[in-house]
Amino acid sequence: MSSPHLLFANIDEPGLATRAVYERRGGYETLRRALRMPAEAVLHELEASAVRGRGGAGFQMGKKASFLPKGSMDKYLCCNADESEPGAFKDRELMQKNPHQLIEGLLITTYAAGINRAFIYIRGEYALQADILDAALVEARDAGYLGERILGSEHSVSVVVHRGAGAYICGEETALLDSLEGKRGNPRLKPPFPANQGLYQGPTLINNVETLSTVPHIVALGGAEYAKLGTETSTGTKVVSVSGHVQRPGNYEIELGIPARELICGLAGGPPEGHSIKCWFPGGSSSPILTADDLDLAYDFDTMAKAGSMMGSGSIIVVDDSVPLVYVALKLARFYRHESCGKCTPCREGTNWTVKMLERIDAGEATPMDLDIMASVQHHIIGNCLCVLGDSMAMPVGSMIEKFRPEFEAHIETARTRSPWGTEAPEREPALVPGAA
Amino acid sequence: MPRPEHRPITFSIDGREVQAPENIMLVDGAKHGDIEIPVFCYEPKLGQPVGACRMCLVEIEGTPKLQTACSTPVKDGMVVHTQTERVREAQAAVVEFLLINHPLDCPVCDKGGECPLQDISFGWGKGRSRFVEPKRHFVKPLELSPVVAIDRERCILCYRCVRFSQEVSEDYQLVLLERGAETFVGTFDGHPYVAPFSGNIVELCPVGALTSRPYRFRARPWDVEGAGSICTLCPSQCNVDFTVRDERVMRVLSRNHADVDDGWLCDKGRFAYQSIHVDERITQPMVRDGGELRPVSWERAMTEAARGLERAGARTAALVGGQTTNEEGFLLARLMRDGLRSGHLDSRAAGSLPLELHRALSRPELQASMTDLEYAHAVLVIDCEPVDDAPIFDLRLRKGVRRNRVKLALATSRPSSLEDNAALSVRMQPGGGRWLLVALDRVLSGAGEREAAAAAAAAGVELERVRALAETLRTAAGEDDSGEVVPPEVVVVWGERLGYGPEGEQAIRALLNLADRLGMAGRQGAGLLEVPGGTNGRGLREAGVLPNAGPGLSEVPGEPGLSEVPGEPGLDAAGMARALGHGDLSALYLLHVDPLRSMPDRQAWEHALESAGTVVAHASYLSDALRHHADVVFPAEAYAEKEGTMVHPDGRLQRLRPTIAHPGGVRAEWRVLVELAARLGLQLDLSTGMHATAALVDAVPFYGGITLEDIGGRGLRWPEQAAAAAAPAAELGPFALESPPDEGAGRGEDAGHGDGTGRGDDGGLVLGTYRSIWAAPEVDVSPALQFTRARQHLEISPTDAQRLGLAQGQAVTVVNGHPGASVTATVALRHSVTPGIVYLQDGLADDSANALTNGQPAPHVEVRPA
Repeated sequence: MSSPHLLFANIDEPGLATRAVYERRGGYETLRRALRMPAEAVLHELEASAVRGRGGAGFQMGKKASFLPKGSMDKYLCCNADESEPGAFKDRELMQKNPHQLIEGLLITTYAAGINRAFIYIRGEYALQADILDAALVEARDAGYLGERILGSEHSVSVVVHRGAGAYICGEETALLDSLEGKRGNPRLKPPFPANQGLYQGPTLINNVETLSTVPHIVALGGAEYAKLGTETSTGTKVVSVSGHVQRPGNYEIELGIPARELICGLAGGPPEGHSIKCWFPGGSSSPILTADDLDLAYDFDTMAKAGSMMGSGSIIVVDDSVPLVYVALKLARFYRHESCGKCTPCREGTNWTVKMLERIDAGEATPMDLDIMASVQHHIIGNCLCVLGDSMAMPVGSMIEKFRPEFEAHIETARTRSPWGTEAPEREPALVPGAA
Repeated sequence: MPRPEHRPITFSIDGREVQAPENIMLVDGAKHGDIEIPVFCYEPKLGQPVGACRMCLVEIEGTPKLQTACSTPVKDGMVVHTQTERVREAQAAVVEFLLINHPLDCPVCDKGGECPLQDISFGWGKGRSRFVEPKRHFVKPLELSPVVAIDRERCILCYRCVRFSQEVSEDYQLVLLERGAETFVGTFDGHPYVAPFSGNIVELCPVGALTSRPYRFRARPWDVEGAGSICTLCPSQCNVDFTVRDERVMRVLSRNHADVDDGWLCDKGRFAYQSIHVDERITQPMVRDGGELRPVSWERAMTEAARGLERAGARTAALVGGQTTNEEGFLLARLMRDGLRSGHLDSRAAGSLPLELHRALSRPELQASMTDLEYAHAVLVIDCEPVDDAPIFDLRLRKGVRRNRVKLALATSRPSSLEDNAALSVRMQPGGGRWLLVALDRVLSGAGEREAAAAAAAAGVELERVRALAETLRTAAGEDDSGEVVPPEVVVVWGERLGYGPEGEQAIRALLNLADRLGMAGRQGAGLLEVPGGTNGRGLREAGVLPNAGPGLSEVPGEPGLSEVPGEPGLDAAGMARALGHGDLSALYLLHVDPLRSMPDRQAWEHALESAGTVVAHASYLSDALRHHADVVFPAEAYAEKEGTMVHPDGRLQRLRPTIAHPGGVRAEWRVLVELAARLGLQLDLSTGMHATAALVDAVPFYGGITLEDIGGRGLRWPEQAAAAAAPAAELGPFALESPPDEGAGRGEDAGHGDGTGRGDDGGLVLGTYRSIWAAPEVDVSPALQFTRARQHLEISPTDAQRLGLAQGQAVTVVNGHPGASVTATVALRHSVTPGIVYLQDGLADDSANALTNGQPAPHVEVRPA
């Protein structure tokens, strides 16, 4: 509402995906300017902006770029466009409607970090967006924005769009690298971190689409000026995908730090008439849930973390009172079971077990004790896996049981009395019914 | 390549101060403090840790999350806890997770009783499961290959087998299929996992998911005993542990020795133990009676053998096979030289080398060790295919290239399976090794272009390739800051066949020149490493089983009358065959060798066997040669029954220990030789196997009085010991080398053919030979390995095949123009084969290539549809 539009400026202008329109709106001017600056100065602007990665981990982007070793070895930039988290669809819009903004940001970043080879790893399902990116790259190449010695500078860079084959895990940065190398997309052990040993064993910088799309704006405004947007530790603006039980789902660019209520109930229109918010995921399906009580919290990295959840990639899913939470948990657990790569034990077995337990709960074959087991299984997954996929299921499911245990217990009880004999259940001794377990 | 150095550091684990080398993984570091951290996926032999099973989670002070001890290097001052409530809970949780889908069929599982999952569940698990849902199901067990069964329900997806296939043996066959909880180990499209090292995955598997089909349900761990010895089926001499039940070998496991086998075995070594207990085995002495071999008493066999040998006296020849121990070789040499006064004995297949060169090759300063293959700057493999000739060398070379970026250079005729790993691969004519080395020498010494070009042409290699090879070796260590080439550590792995034939002498001189030009002598980590034709080729030579050398490569006393063939101290193998054929020699002693199968000139040996008056043999299985020609056959001991020593190609004395009793009437062969010597009037005065070893060691000065205790279970490299100084001195070059007979001459002349026909004139083909890993009598009789049994293929380039109108799989006859000499084979088209050359296997029981070679390295042959 009140926030300045950076990423989404002119987003709905027809033809913005073409170079002509993008350039008419000042596109690629920042690249020209950046190439005239020393690379260190550009990197300095990125660091000064304190912009945090928009992919989920929220690590400072400039700092990460500065970790790359200096020198003339082969270094790589991988743009992570494998946006697969349920609830996240901001990168799709950014790539579909304004691909040149991403390309410009990517080129500036390669210049700042001294990288000559860049890849955009895009999920296979984003075929339309990949086609748009391919077309945009051809335009950019024709205009001399990429290739050998771009715009007369000493900087050369090649960019390749690589389409994934439909695995959520390939959005995990090291699995992405394995997949890009042509291997099975499994996460790698860290350390070594990609900044030291990433793609083809070379130093590799991995950034999200939105992060890279922000780069031209940071350089245009100046890092310090950009840092004035948002809060002290969550600078800048953010595109937030709002979905679920809201009246106007969609992507909204906000200045970080506005109250969540303004976003969910204001911009997105709140829950449908006659319903109230039961809970919401502040950072995609992998974030621990918050409740209606948390709606007045500021929407930024630190406040969300302090509230026991996370802002993640900035994808809000709203759940209203019309849906049993067991269904939400089951839907979610099934997703993560399906997407677990199977490399490490807790995630492979834990997601599988959780689904089976939730299915039992819904089928009326569970007891409240199973909730304890399920909570403990989530506890055993969290922090003990090779990558964060296991945590991505365990944290929200764990938080659901913690915050809505009575609802789970009621669900168990209802399902138990419904099943296994349905209405023809044999009469029970009345004395045994209350508190039966 | 510098070897990793680990300075000692101190860290604290569970309140204990522990000293350990810096940067080793915490799992290993903990062992220095007697603390076990449980693991499933961690196996340092497989390379970098993967951190997949999460069993080894521990708490490290200063790190908020639990860390996998398998991937955390120990640092000075680190404080580690493995017994806190948090760690115990996380580890118990992993056990619980792993058991979710693991069937508890331990009572019928082969792994039960020796299963890491059982042990860890017991030690670190909670003892009960909260999992009540149905387990995951697969069809089971399935044949992953003819020797390995896979039970996917038991699999805990630790990745070990897949990593072995992908990163150690590099056959790239095993993969993980599907995802998440549905993941399973398999191969592309369900093809069987057939590879030379596939059996290792059985040993790697921490559960009962991969089991050995020959061993399945044969024994439980409490029924068996382990007995350490070495495998003698190839020169790799891997350290093995025989699993013995009721005097039968049930299984072979690796007895991990980092300096010998690195803990791997090939499938021949792992499964050919079956040959010990087959009906084909000869277990009684046999004597020819009425034209046929019949089992007889030892007394009768001894008498017959002694009579025949005594009659022939100095006109006896002895041929010794590679699986003979040092002691047996030494005793046979005594029997021959001191008992029969004959010097005609040989353990090499073709041609003799001057004693001078044998000594030079044995000089301690030129010896490379197995581990040097891993850390050298460059390794040159010449005239040898490691996977066939000494399989474990193949894995070691792959490891060096993969982990330490060793520059691998290949100089072979037949396309090598290591070509994908090689920095440079030079393809030459069959038998072109000699001229290639001469050309290399000329390039490295800066001799004239013309001379180098002539030698390169004779090897069938472009001069540019030779130059590139020289450059690869010379600059393998790179340049220092001032631009000077750093002297590299180069190891040359060479096949014994390089030194075969009349030209062998020059080849060895050229090899020694190469060692000189690359400054190998005395440089740590550099040197020569021979792959002998037979398992104990090196030991037998050192024990004096050569026509021109006594024990310790000593001069053979030149006393007159030692040999009745004038002008020679003793005949080499080829000479024996000729002399037997001509009637100059009349008796033949065959110790573990079938000349028709393993000698390069089959026809000469056929003639020799026919002409020989007496043939005495030690053998395990009857071959055609024995069936038709042997007069006395003594049953040979199997390698698991033998006592004695052998010498690894890198000079390591290794001990064979008898692990099972002799079956039937088999007797210790050293004892047979001693008794036979006694009957021939030579009292050797040896009453135990240990005495035999002591007598051998006494006779070899550079063994330095080593005892069996010194050798122990891990062996001892004599070139590293002080007594190595007693090794006979020899000139190490550089030697003057001959030039090719005629610059630009046709290959026919190089190969020693007088007919002067070169390929292209008459469309003839040059024959190269190789010996497959599976071409062994032990494989022939092992039921589990029947599917690998080598059959004769004619490897031919598609160009030649098209010219000759041959199709893949077609039956053909290969002839060399000599009447009666032919080999039938099926056509195998190989794009990588150089046009003009075809390859056949030798060492086969039937249709072996040696029927065509006549001892020549590169004869001309013709191929006709059969």
